Amino acid sequence: MGAYFFRRALLMIPTFLGITFLVFTITRFVPGGPIEQMMVKMQMAESEAGGGSGGDFDGAVQIPDSVREELEKQFGFDKPFYLAYLDWVSDVVVLDLGTSYKYRQPVWDIVKSRFPVSIFLGLTGFLLGYLICIPLGIRKAIRHGGVFDFGSSVLIFMAYSVPGWAIGGLLLVLLGGGSFWDIVPLGGFRGDSWDELSTWGKIKDQLHHMILPVFAYTIGSFATLTILMKNSLMENLGQDYVRTAFAKGLGERRVVLVHALRNSLIPICTGLGHALSLVMAGSYLIEKVFNIDGIGYLGYTSIIERDYAVVMGVLVINVFLMLLGNILSDVLYVLVDPRIRFS
Amino acid sequence: MSEVQDSAATDAPAEAPLSVLQRRWRKFKTLKRGWYSFQILVFLYLASFLLPVLVNSDALCVRYQGEWHFPVFGGFHQARDFGQDKIGQVNWRDLQEQYYFEGEDNFVLLPPYPYNPLENLLHESNLVGQPPHAPNAYHILGTDDRGRDVFVRLVYGFRTSITFALGVIILSYIIGMTIGACFGYFSGRIDFWGQRLVEIWSGLPFLYTIIIISSIVKPGMWLLILLLALFRWVGISFYMRGEFYREKSRDYVAAAIAQGESHRSIMFRHILPNGLTPIISFAPFAVVVTISSLVSLDYLGFGLPAPTPSWGELVNQGLENITAWHLVFFPLGAMFFTLLLVVFIGEAVREAFDPKVFSRLR
Repeated sequence: MGAYFFRRALLMIPTFLGITFLVFTITRFVPGGPIEQMMVKMQMAESEAGGGSGGDFDGAVQIPDSVREELEKQFGFDKPFYLAYLDWVSDVVVLDLGTSYKYRQPVWDIVKSRFPVSIFLGLTGFLLGYLICIPLGIRKAIRHGGVFDFGSSVLIFMAYSVPGWAIGGLLLVLLGGGSFWDIVPLGGFRGDSWDELSTWGKIKDQLHHMILPVFAYTIGSFATLTILMKNSLMENLGQDYVRTAFAKGLGERRVVLVHALRNSLIPICTGLGHALSLVMAGSYLIEKVFNIDGIGYLGYTSIIERDYAVVMGVLVINVFLMLLGNILSDVLYVLVDPRIRFS
Repeated sequence: MSEVQDSAATDAPAEAPLSVLQRRWRKFKTLKRGWYSFQILVFLYLASFLLPVLVNSDALCVRYQGEWHFPVFGGFHQARDFGQDKIGQVNWRDLQEQYYFEGEDNFVLLPPYPYNPLENLLHESNLVGQPPHAPNAYHILGTDDRGRDVFVRLVYGFRTSITFALGVIILSYIIGMTIGACFGYFSGRIDFWGQRLVEIWSGLPFLYTIIIISSIVKPGMWLLILLLALFRWVGISFYMRGEFYREKSRDYVAAAIAQGESHRSIMFRHILPNGLTPIISFAPFAVVVTISSLVSLDYLGFGLPAPTPSWGELVNQGLENITAWHLVFFPLGAMFFTLLLVVFIGEAVREAFDPKVFSRLR
């Protein structure tokens, strides 16, 4: 068993290298990369400084080649991309993700400061989803074909047809003080005056700000999770051991909640392993909708600004969480289902 | 399923027995919710190809000084040639009004909803104030922040979305089926190394990578379809690989090999038709995911290129300008309506192709 997980952990390495190499290569062959952006900035600064001097200028200020070379060196663009990638990887190993050219800070520090916000909102939403979907799925399975099953299916279809961030945005328009009600703040992780609030005030402010984003995360996994729970339980209820339990004279409650439920939770539990990478995937959209300064929004803005050190940093976090999630769900598999032995 | 076969056999003994696919199609038609949704969606999609004559700013037919013109079929029409007092292209809506007041026998026949998705309507007399305008009698769903009619952009966006989804599905199915079939059929070393590569490929964070690529190459519709298909084939290939693994040990495959059939013939003529069930029942859900992805990408500004009418772009405008509720409600409503139809179709297809019978004791 230990050997299995050790091998899995080793297999992470080529996958990690493969993914980061692909994206690194993409970002290298880009017009308008950091060098061009810096050059444009310098040109603008220079033409502003010398703006009044002459009108017969043909537009572009020439930046001397030496400056360009220095810039290229600074960003590692003076080497072929595979060597630059090797440099980058060897830095990543010691958690040095480079320096953001926009924030002028180590990427690792920026990522570290944004990470908790995203995880806090995302995980809350995700776990809330589990708390709602499991009981809902159970009830739908027991009442299969009934009014409750049908009624809740309508909700599930709705949640499946519109993505979580969009429902969040819809509620924001409704409740954010636009044309309708003014119940929730327009966005942000916390209010501006957070530091001056009392403890109780802080709790209230936090809840007030997080209700819609968390809801958006919850909706994102709501439909699939409920259906998964329902189908899994339905499948188990058709099994022989359930027949046996009924034949022994156990009540329905006990058969369903103790016997069948334990087995049908297996596929649900293993999904928990991917919670973090699912949260990351949702964060690009949800954090943009609610203007939250988390890691998804950081990735999004740095792509727009071509701050590739940060782009790669966010990617590293993403890929790492995904690989970790794969292993975690295997571990959970073993933990909840003692029949399973990896070898 | 056997019931259907039996009744077909007794009712019409002369008829050729139904193929599996025909039986499933019949079953699908009996599932009313899915079948009606399917009809509605097909009708709407086909109708959307008539949009240029239903929703357009070009007149269908013009009579000026005894001569007939059909501007809807293209061509540049000088305003002066039609007696309109301005320079450049004719504004057919103004021209209709002008002819009406002149009272001669010139006339302009406009489409039922006479606006096009790209035109800026800020100079229209029926719009007052700054865009985005709330819904009114002339623009039933209002205008967006550049003064373009929202209804028009929604209906054209519908056509774009469905076409886009179909493109992605077809392309990703071709790639995924071919690759999955090869892995499953040849197995061994090809499969092992192939799976390692697929593992890397599927580990790429989908949205993030698309945004990065999209920020660089500014893809048009077809390139974006290719990009999404390059990410979506992986799931298909897993289904296909599993089916091929299972089917290739069957006797009919051994028989085909014994007859000396080529690999290609065995794969695509013999095995493939038996392994279609999972990927067919997956297709409607792939449509849902693809349209959601397109709306998400358009919302982030990395989807279809700028003036293309799209739902996600409208939502983005609406969330930037929180009082413009109509820019959020209507596009999401359109998306909801469309995807709900697709989900209903998906449920019915799954029921017809891959029925799960749950037997309950109590």
